[in-house]
Amino acid sequence: MANKEKLLEIKNLKQYFNEGKANEVKAVDDVSFDIFKGEVMGLVGESGCGKSTTGRTIIRLYDATGGEVLYNGTNVHGKKSKHQLKEFNRKMQMIFQDPYASLNPRLKIADVIAEGIDIHGLAKSKKERMEQVYELLETVGLNREHANRYPHEFSGGQRQRIGIARALAVQPEFIIADEPISALDVSIQAQVVNLMKKLQKEKGLTYLFIAHDLSMVKYISDRIGVMYYGKMVELASAEDLYKNPLHPYTQSLLSAIPVPDPISERSRKRKSYDPASHNYDNNESVEFREVTPGHFVLCSEKEFNQYKVISKH
Amino acid sequence: MEKILQVKDLNISFHTFSGEVKAIRGVSFDLLKGETLAIVGESGSGKSVTTKAIMRLLPEHNSEIKKGEILFNGKDLTKLTDKQMQKIRGHDISMIFQDPMTSLNPTMKIGNQIMEPLVKHQNMSSHAAKERALELLKLVGIPKPEIRINQYPHQFSGGMRQRVVIAIALACNPKVLIADEPTTALDVTIQAQILELMKDLQKKIDTSIIFITHDLGVVANVADRVAVMYGGKIIEIGTADEIFYNPQHPYTWGLISSMPDMETDDDELFSIPGTPPDLLDPPKGDAFAPRNPYVMKIDLEQEPPFFKVSDTHYAATWLLHPDAPKVEPPEAVKRRQSQFSSIAGTASGDVRLEKSNFPGTKEGK
Repeated sequence: MANKEKLLEIKNLKQYFNEGKANEVKAVDDVSFDIFKGEVMGLVGESGCGKSTTGRTIIRLYDATGGEVLYNGTNVHGKKSKHQLKEFNRKMQMIFQDPYASLNPRLKIADVIAEGIDIHGLAKSKKERMEQVYELLETVGLNREHANRYPHEFSGGQRQRIGIARALAVQPEFIIADEPISALDVSIQAQVVNLMKKLQKEKGLTYLFIAHDLSMVKYISDRIGVMYYGKMVELASAEDLYKNPLHPYTQSLLSAIPVPDPISERSRKRKSYDPASHNYDNNESVEFREVTPGHFVLCSEKEFNQYKVISKH
Repeated sequence: MEKILQVKDLNISFHTFSGEVKAIRGVSFDLLKGETLAIVGESGSGKSVTTKAIMRLLPEHNSEIKKGEILFNGKDLTKLTDKQMQKIRGHDISMIFQDPMTSLNPTMKIGNQIMEPLVKHQNMSSHAAKERALELLKLVGIPKPEIRINQYPHQFSGGMRQRVVIAIALACNPKVLIADEPTTALDVTIQAQILELMKDLQKKIDTSIIFITHDLGVVANVADRVAVMYGGKIIEIGTADEIFYNPQHPYTWGLISSMPDMETDDDELFSIPGTPPDLLDPPKGDAFAPRNPYVMKIDLEQEPPFFKVSDTHYAATWLLHPDAPKVEPPEAVKRRQSQFSSIAGTASGDVRLEKSNFPGTKEGK
């Protein structure tokens, strides 16, 4: 990437649920990464690995247990006046997984989309508000007649387009997309992904794209982070991660994705991952280390040296 | 190959407030002994309705089988009484559902749920059934079955629950197993385990599987043959190699090229424009015509018949008619077709165009 300006810095982010109790869950456990301006950062992992929680904590739907999220240098968490919070909310928006649950069924589409416009006072008159709604609908490939309908009148793909229009309404810089295509049919998935890519180019948006469908993530992302049990285990460019996965969990994850190709499926060898296989000593420090430029792996000193050797070939 | 199950010209409608939804419009296929037939298609294409009709699980108050038969062991399943059907369901034909969280009874111990079909269908004593249940749990790879057998579904993870569902479905060694998106609700690593388990078990008990999914990766992994459904019809059917490396229908082209593979680079992903047809009022000609970039005049007027591509491969598209203009499929499909010629040893352009009936409708071959 030519443009390496940091938009977001996530530093030692921790999100624990039921903290201090017996059933404490470390959903996000000391995760650090940066998101550069204008890139698509993919986040993958199994359900329960903390990828959605990471996204939700970044946008402050949850208050972080520890660590920092710096957006353009200012901390997202921590004390803020109402005004500051509002300012911040405008820059960061979210697209949710389930297009059936994320739209208020009692609101007309115009009001769903314009809610942000109203809150932030982005339209001076009713006419201007509707103009903006129409424009947004057209941007996402719907038409103005749709503004007066209710969510139940739309298909899943159309609803996801409405969700995207709503996120775009306040002209954000950064969008967190939490499994935006998982609930859609294959032929519709491609439409939504193309739309998101097009919008990114036109508006210079930055995305955090959370998903478990690895082939789609590879297609849309510049860089990908792999999470396992609340930790980020590997972070690399999309190319690099697929061609040269270093962490055994990443290897096992990649070997589990079925590809639409019967010949390679017949010869597929599945790798399974056993966390005990690392055999870490008690005094070994397991850290997130940079093996090759831009390729980070969670590993011990010993593994780090091995990975370095592997990557040279 | 022996035909285990034959579906012939099946037509199913649902009666709704807004009118008659013609969900299945003339579906025919055979299921051979020991094979896995994958049915792919998007939601609303009729894949689940077809299999629910085989299991006779369609709601009685608003669904109607308008036409067609489902032959199993010489009997037409559509004509059986409920009592007769109960003898078949869970015994000769059984089903695995999509969501393992809801397909188990939360108030019953796992063991009792596995024993239920054994006691009911095979008149086993509860002692013998328990022995068999333990065996089945071991077979589907659940550790410590002696302890697990007395536990409730909430004590199991999603993948483990799906293993239990599979154990129940396989309890009576069914001849046909219908798996309706059995791995959609699971993580990829768990999905891989379940698929491996199913393939392994299929070899052991020699059952035929109908596998419904919309994930072409899964299809490539499990299927011997593939049927592609669109708008309540099968539009293309063939062996997995034929469908993946030599697809003929523009909808299949669209499906295959809209999935990014490892070689897809940065340009725009191929996508099928528009949305699936409204089956309240199905289009007159080819249901795919409004979304078809290769649409011809005849597509809008007449439904295409099945054209034979090979003995095992049929596709319903006018593009295969001898008079149709030659069209260029999308790039991703061409890449695959070039692979096909090396697998099959025949040039991909050299398909025999022959108007033909669908194999399921021809008898006594």
